[in-house]
Amino acid sequence: MNVRYMMKELYYQRRRTLMSILGLSIGIALLIILNSLSSAYRRAAHVPLQEIGADITVQRSGDVPKDLAGAVFPCSAVTIRKEEVEKIQKLSGVRGIGTGLLLWVFDPNRAWIVLGIEKDNSIGPSLLRSSVTEGRFLEDGKPEALVEQAYARQFGIKLNDTVSVADKKFPVVGFVDASRAAKIAVANVYLPLKDAEDMAASSKGLQSVSPYAPGDVNLLFIKADQEKITGLASEMKGILGNKATVATPESFLKLLGSLFALSDKFTLAASLIAIIVAVLIAFKTMAGNIAERAREIGVLKAVGWTNRNVVSQLMSESVIQCFLAGILGLLIALVASFGLSFMKVNIPIPWEMSPNPHFLPGGGDQVFKTLRLPVHVPWNLALFAILLSIIIGGMTGGLLGRHISKIKPSEVLRHD
Amino acid sequence: MTKSTILSGTDLSKKYGDLEVVKGVSLAVNEGEFICLVGKSGCGKTTLLSLLSGLEKPTKGKVNLDGREITTSSEDELALFRRENVGFIFQSFNLIPTLSAWENVALPLFPIKMTSEERRKRATELLGKMELGHRLEHLPSALSGGEKQRVAIARALINNPKIIFADEPTGNLDSSTGEAIMDILGKLHRDEGVAILMVTHEAELAKAANRVIRMKDGEIVS
Repeated sequence: MNVRYMMKELYYQRRRTLMSILGLSIGIALLIILNSLSSAYRRAAHVPLQEIGADITVQRSGDVPKDLAGAVFPCSAVTIRKEEVEKIQKLSGVRGIGTGLLLWVFDPNRAWIVLGIEKDNSIGPSLLRSSVTEGRFLEDGKPEALVEQAYARQFGIKLNDTVSVADKKFPVVGFVDASRAAKIAVANVYLPLKDAEDMAASSKGLQSVSPYAPGDVNLLFIKADQEKITGLASEMKGILGNKATVATPESFLKLLGSLFALSDKFTLAASLIAIIVAVLIAFKTMAGNIAERAREIGVLKAVGWTNRNVVSQLMSESVIQCFLAGILGLLIALVASFGLSFMKVNIPIPWEMSPNPHFLPGGGDQVFKTLRLPVHVPWNLALFAILLSIIIGGMTGGLLGRHISKIKPSEVLRHD
Repeated sequence: MTKSTILSGTDLSKKYGDLEVVKGVSLAVNEGEFICLVGKSGCGKTTLLSLLSGLEKPTKGKVNLDGREITTSSEDELALFRRENVGFIFQSFNLIPTLSAWENVALPLFPIKMTSEERRKRATELLGKMELGHRLEHLPSALSGGEKQRVAIARALINNPKIIFADEPTGNLDSSTGEAIMDILGKLHRDEGVAILMVTHEAELAKAANRVIRMKDGEIVS
């Protein structure tokens, strides 16, 4: 291989070189963009759960409350027994569990969505700590309440007021901005889990539909090993029965419905097509280029270049062109990814996970988590694309070089 | 083969399908000899030149070049042999358009392990002899026909060949430039003692040769 010859060939045959580079770079860019988009949708699907510090949420559907009075369970979240929680905790791959107790409380003058939370558990709704806009977060051992900011504004609730929920009084110690919080497990008022448990245990209406004992919950937030999430989801369904609603990033991905979000198989197929397109483009343009140089190859052989000399020269030219195509493809993909990252994606929250009573005004509306699609090109994908370009260059140059090196110099030089 | 015979072809035939282009030709070139192979277009002289130089394999017969039987050699063995022993001059110059004059001259040295400076030095010397010292960095597109052919002659000499094969070296040149090229070839033969086997259809050019071989319909007629 002669570097001087290679560089001059690429430089002086600029049009030919550019065509080859452009053609292949489009295929490489396509490959990177497809995979970046696919992983962006995957990351987006994690967001609704990540916002409450979990990888999986679990609840169980049950019967509709008979009477909308006092504290009741939403029909989408009835009792999960303490023993069932313990079984889930012992599953391999579960790294931690947060619990919550979601109640609808129908007082004579007002309906509340109440969520009992574990104040100090980093998994679950205690992440609301960062969404406190006024006052403070709940403190240990005190029966106190946090009220959602918009709800407080609507009903004129002030800081340090006392609110009465299911005949029990709670001082309002802070407001939280639920619009900044997760769309899952949001409520009008947040109480210490212990107080919510007492409220549920003492509600006859609730007990008649879904027997409850302190220690039981109706919402689970689970941190798990990423590679075990799918398996854990089916094990949890096995523990809790068919009525269990187990939400995972995969289930949110399915709700997104985008082609990129549908399956790994689509991305794999599209990537393969992009690679095949890239290889075909590289092969076609290089084959054209090399065919144009048949006479030149004949001269090289006539003056004493062996087949191996010819192949390594053509291969080096091809590798450099494809490497440059890989770099250009990566740059195109980076620009495209930047553009695509302004795209908004609406992730639908399943109605079972929406805490709002669907029979109240607006309660049946589909809730979405809206976010910017987190598109970026991972370094390992960039590296793979560059390596792939080099491999395509080596293969194309090698195959075409071997083919053209077999020509007899006399055949291409005789017709002067 | 005598000591002074550098190239010999024995009973050489070449067939393309049913067409026999060269028919049982035998020919010997002695060291430092200048032979002109003349004949009308299509008489088989270029094919004979290809057979004798190892660019093509005969259907029948043997070629012995510098004491070595080359008809049984592989493609790569032939290429290496040509690199070390043979120079070529073509009618269409066959310079690489993307390489400068000196790089074209050094083209046979590219696969050999040596520094670029060494290659350039040898190419520069030869281009100097061809009175092209001022055209070292010019691309072929910036050279006249005569200059291109002089670059091609320098390329043929870069490996100090024992024999130069020239196929219609003045065919694409006007008459005065053609004469100048013939002067250079004659000088090479006289001063450097390089054997030359030249193919031409112009009988006038054959005057420069020691020996003229005439071909007709694939056979040597005189």
